[in-house]
Amino acid sequence: MTARRNRIAPLAWQIGMTGALLAIWQWAALTHPAPYLPVLQNIVAGYLRLWHGDLLQSAIVPSMVRLAIGFLIAVAAGCVAGLVLGYLRALDPWVRPVLEYLRFIPAVAILPAALLLFGPTDTMRIFVIAFGSVFPVLLAAIDGARRVDAVLLDVARVNGLSLMERLFRVVLPAALPLIFAGVRIALSIALVMMVISELIAADDGLGFYILRNQRLFQTANVYAGVLTIGTIGLALTLALLAIERSVLSWHRGWRGLSGTGSVI
Amino acid sequence: MSESILIMDGVTKAYVPTAPILKDVSFRQEPGEFLAVVGPSGCGKTTMLRCIASLMQPDQGAVLHHGQHFDNPPPWLSIVFQDYNRSLFPWLSVRRNVAFGLRHVGKEERDARVQGALKAVNLEHAADLYPWQLSGGMQQRCALARSIVVQPKLLLLDEPFASVDAQTRIDLQDMVMDICRKMSLSTLLVTHDIDEAVFMADKVVVLSTRPARVVEEIGVDLPRPRDQLTTKETPDFLHLRHRVYTLVRQQAQKGTSA
Amino acid sequence: MKMTPLPGAVLKGIAGIALSVALWELIRAFRIVDPRDLPSFVAIVRSAAAGLWGGDLAAALVATIGSWVPGLLIATIGGVAIGIALALVPTLEIATRPLLEFLRPIPSVALIPVALLVLGIGLQMQLSMIAFASIWPVLFSTKAGVESVDPRYLETGRVMGLGQTAQLLRIVLPSTLPSVATGMRTASAIALVLAITVEMLTGRPGIGFYIETIRLNGLTTEMWAAIFVTGLFGYLVNAAFMAAERFALPWSPENRDR
Repeated sequence: MTARRNRIAPLAWQIGMTGALLAIWQWAALTHPAPYLPVLQNIVAGYLRLWHGDLLQSAIVPSMVRLAIGFLIAVAAGCVAGLVLGYLRALDPWVRPVLEYLRFIPAVAILPAALLLFGPTDTMRIFVIAFGSVFPVLLAAIDGARRVDAVLLDVARVNGLSLMERLFRVVLPAALPLIFAGVRIALSIALVMMVISELIAADDGLGFYILRNQRLFQTANVYAGVLTIGTIGLALTLALLAIERSVLSWHRGWRGLSGTGSVI
Repeated sequence: MSESILIMDGVTKAYVPTAPILKDVSFRQEPGEFLAVVGPSGCGKTTMLRCIASLMQPDQGAVLHHGQHFDNPPPWLSIVFQDYNRSLFPWLSVRRNVAFGLRHVGKEERDARVQGALKAVNLEHAADLYPWQLSGGMQQRCALARSIVVQPKLLLLDEPFASVDAQTRIDLQDMVMDICRKMSLSTLLVTHDIDEAVFMADKVVVLSTRPARVVEEIGVDLPRPRDQLTTKETPDFLHLRHRVYTLVRQQAQKGTSA
Repeated sequence: MKMTPLPGAVLKGIAGIALSVALWELIRAFRIVDPRDLPSFVAIVRSAAAGLWGGDLAAALVATIGSWVPGLLIATIGGVAIGIALALVPTLEIATRPLLEFLRPIPSVALIPVALLVLGIGLQMQLSMIAFASIWPVLFSTKAGVESVDPRYLETGRVMGLGQTAQLLRIVLPSTLPSVATGMRTASAIALVLAITVEMLTGRPGIGFYIETIRLNGLTTEMWAAIFVTGLFGYLVNAAFMAAERFALPWSPENRDR
């Protein structure tokens, strides 16, 4: 097996395809100018402009601040509530119906209510982001807490741990692999909610930026803005994966050995 | 009365009312005594152990530690579970697992005690490894270290050597006896291995088949320290072994013919 | 594993709902939120009923469904087709990988302004956005499903003399159906979000436009009623998909253990 040749061929294909697509775009933009088909260099220029100076302040920073706060609130609240609800199994039949209803509300439908209650403020946008992204974390935490191995809890009890100590020193670490899976989903939802809240009800941020440029037919900036959102999403996802890899290093080794390989 | 470290008095436990697991189990353990509990497979030994540890309350009867009833495991009680790969915290290193019960102790004392426990079970070199990186015997030794580092007075062992190979089992038996002697522990060993029970214990409690009750208590006054080779060849050992084995087999046959 | 007999669980669930409503009313009573912004639960339900019974709410819902269904359909057909193609033709998968990996991190809603540029306002733009956003879960689920077809099934087919097309239709497709179903269920939720978002942004008829309009007109009760009903709709859509899966695919691993 010529392993090296097998690695080069696909790479060549991919570079080739990418190059071809870009070339087609550029050719089309130059020969058939249309409002929605800007030349590539304008897009690149717009993209670079976004990351410098006052556009950074008025577009990128507000978006990222809202995203961070809303997302972190969702993760914290989802974890705490989920661990408690999952551990105290008796609570499950009480909260199940309400949770099942809330989680299937299309998060965007909450936006007008949030607008009513909080006005067009950052609180409103952060609320919308948090509301949309809390459920994957909450459900994952409930599931993870429920599946903690009973033996680990016995060990904790024999060592005299209180309920709080048991939750945070045993249930939380044991449920962490599942929680991280939920957090990954929550991140992509948070990103979507951030954009939605800025498209519909904001006067700064990336969503507002692309909408405003669309209305002004500054199409290169629209694409640049979209690319920026994608870049941020990608960077955050990679960062999250890196954190997960380091925090859960014990889990990968664990999973490699025992059959189902779960502590849960 | 309250000098006995453990009193089981008419303990009865059933998960389903029509099929009790334990029925009227009564025996006593004195401080410093090494007690072994044997019985046919599935007779409820683990349930009994959980009641002893106060992880579970009996339906009837009482479990008394030093004459007192406890709703939760008493602080001087430690337990080594059977499934070591489920009882060690996979996200903690060996050192941190062993230190788990010492969180209210100052750092210096904690480190010293952890080191001492690791030394007693011969795991000093593996202190920073994680459970998944250890062999079965090493994992069980880690669980043992975790149990003794809190300086218990009563150590419960739930078939601790069932899942390790024969050679490791012998080494672990010697290790446990040595530790229990040095720390003057009261030890209660639940096992299905009759040789092991007679070899290690001062007294063997034989349980009947389900619903379990105490069939007989057999004193083992073989001299200590005991040796895996020489002690097991003495006529006294063989005689005791024969007695226990016969009793257990009778119970097992009763169970199958029931 | 049954934990409580069914009636008990149902009663507790109803009690839980009742407690939530009580919490809502308490928030009103204590003016944590202005009661004008938070109508009473009874008023909301009444408004919902009125709106649904041949009222504007029902019309709005129907309008949303009118774009949601076609968009979802396009996404399903496209996603399944492309997913299968990518799974079966490695060259295609490699060639398109950079494009797909490039588009993946971009939230579909961010492309709404682009769609406005290219297609303007109208049904075509809305359908395109819904289809574009919902195609991804179907595509990746289908692709993964095809890739994880048990090779023994295919070998069985070959031994029985099935040609490539027959293998595809009679082995690959059926065993991929559970994955496709899951992908569709996810896609249905995404499609709903996109439909409503486009309505809110561009004034296309539907629930999104309806909720925004009545909010701007100060009809708070009607707004909450619409949100409440939208939530119910989202729940019913998911429940319907799960029921359909259980009915059509009782043999799939997720449905087998019921």
